[in-house]
Amino acid sequence: MRKKMMKYSFLPGTFLAALFTLAVFQVALAQTVYKGGEASARASRESLRVIMIGAHPDDSEYKGGGTAALWAEQGVKVMLVSVTNGDAGHQSQGGGALAMRRAAESRRSAEILGVSWRTLNFHDGELVPSLEARWAVIRAIREWKADIVISPRPNDYHPDHRYTGQLVQDAAYMVVVPNICPDTPRLERNPVFMYFSDGFKKPYPFIADVVVDVGPVIEKKIAALAEMDSQMFEWLPWVAGYLDQVPKDKEKRFEWYRNRRFRGRKGQENRFYEQVAERYGKAHAEKIQFVEAFELCEYGSRPAREKLWELFPK
Amino acid sequence: MQRRFLSCGFSLLTVGLTVLLMGSFTQIAVAQTVYKGGKAPAREGKNPLRVIMIGAHPDDAEVKGGGTAALWAEQGAEVMLVAVTNGDAGHQSQGGGALARRRAAECRRSAEILGVSWRTLDFHDGEVVPSLRAREAVMRVIRQWQADIVISHRTNDYHPDHRYAGQLAQDVAYMCAVPNLCPDTPRLEKNPVFMYFADRFQKPNAFTVDVAVDVDRVMDKKWASIDAMDSQMYEWLPWVAGYLDEVPEDKAARFNWLKQWRGPRMLGWTEKSRDILIQRYGKERGEKVKFAEIFELCEYGRGWAGENLWSLFPK
Repeated sequence: MRKKMMKYSFLPGTFLAALFTLAVFQVALAQTVYKGGEASARASRESLRVIMIGAHPDDSEYKGGGTAALWAEQGVKVMLVSVTNGDAGHQSQGGGALAMRRAAESRRSAEILGVSWRTLNFHDGELVPSLEARWAVIRAIREWKADIVISPRPNDYHPDHRYTGQLVQDAAYMVVVPNICPDTPRLERNPVFMYFSDGFKKPYPFIADVVVDVGPVIEKKIAALAEMDSQMFEWLPWVAGYLDQVPKDKEKRFEWYRNRRFRGRKGQENRFYEQVAERYGKAHAEKIQFVEAFELCEYGSRPAREKLWELFPK
Repeated sequence: MQRRFLSCGFSLLTVGLTVLLMGSFTQIAVAQTVYKGGKAPAREGKNPLRVIMIGAHPDDAEVKGGGTAALWAEQGAEVMLVAVTNGDAGHQSQGGGALARRRAAECRRSAEILGVSWRTLDFHDGEVVPSLRAREAVMRVIRQWQADIVISHRTNDYHPDHRYAGQLAQDVAYMCAVPNLCPDTPRLEKNPVFMYFADRFQKPNAFTVDVAVDVDRVMDKKWASIDAMDSQMYEWLPWVAGYLDEVPEDKAARFNWLKQWRGPRMLGWTEKSRDILIQRYGKERGEKVKFAEIFELCEYGRGWAGENLWSLFPK
């Protein structure tokens, strides 16, 4: 019975995918691979499975790429998901062609970080908290059998970020209800849901419940982001009005990017200094320059602080 | 026809103002000035208070407000419990229309025990979204019941259906007094008092206890009404929480188990509201209350403050 249902849902999926783009086709294939199998209770760190769900192909990498790389080095299975395919994020390119370009960039980034990657293929700039989008998120979380889910808060400057946050919140708890998306086996436990950091203050500022020193993998993180030419060296400088400052030479522009985005902030300069000192000790905190921070969402499983810290790389 | 409860001679003025398009705004402003801090008008026996509790699923209103509903009913108030969804996803091995019908039958038995009415708006479980279609369904049910008080979820709670049911109720506040919306269903002349059920969530702000009701006197009724929901209390909820094997077979034994399992959270509501219970019932009784139900005032309904708000609730 279950096999039959999966077959039916797969066939039209593949058919549509073939009509669209190669990128979509690959996503559909990936979905069949992960469909099926029961999520099992996981206690040990090595078998931990993490899914980071960003709105665009570069959001998870920027906010959580270092933590993802550290987890991956420790054998944790990490999946980065982009809810949209990023097909609006350029000044002179767009549509399927841009989506395919960004998918290729993101796959190279994921390889550098040692993680998996996929997109849910919604149009960039058009994400709304619909049931269809919620179901796509629920299926992605279940297929990855995630223990930890990380996404933006529902308050952030970009509507796609906000609605990604809302969609992921709306998937919390529902991932354990078998009658919701019955084509995809439910999770036995509600995962721990976390938020990426942001600078917004309303209705309340971001709370750093976990901080991770990503200094040891900062080169990987910068290299992963620098793979995204379309964003780091074209679209983002263009929309911010400094495209003319981007060096033409590959090595020079890499250094330019590093200096612009990853100067590093030691000690008290670091926004999360207090939390870093708490987790890593004062002496170590003075030396730490690159930090990623995450807030615990109230709608997922809520481990006590020590238990939560144990889940994250140190 | 004209229900005088909650009205204090301003009805002519307010009706007149409503005729003007912009008047509706003025009306709200006037209503707020008049009622804020003012004395609650005396209730008339002929015009019982009408209350509607809007939960997301068939069991939410019963668990969070069943005791208060039973007290109100005993005092002659007309109470309707509404489930926005029909609950058709809330089971590990059943689902769809068959489950929805089973849960409707359970809720009707519960409602009978509590002395209240019950209905569902029949949306699919797990699929509540703040659509206009859903808002209109909520608007019509509030108008049809001619509700003076509406109680629903806050918009922060663990279940998306709870959050969106709360949002829908908020979105109906004020709009239920606008005649051009759902013109097939006569508008309410007054924006009801909107309240929230209790929850434990802290972000972006924690639940505030504005009213606490001592429900000890009707706890037997409340427990019996919850006990009537087999599909939830003895099947789905223990299963999804991972302790289905703990549920006793024997009917009396499982009823005791239910009380031990569900009791502590309800006791938490009492602890949270002890100060208000003492203020409302006096030191002697307030300190002794075992089970209380607590409610927060929503800013979008009619504004009532302190003891005036308390006078609307059973005591």
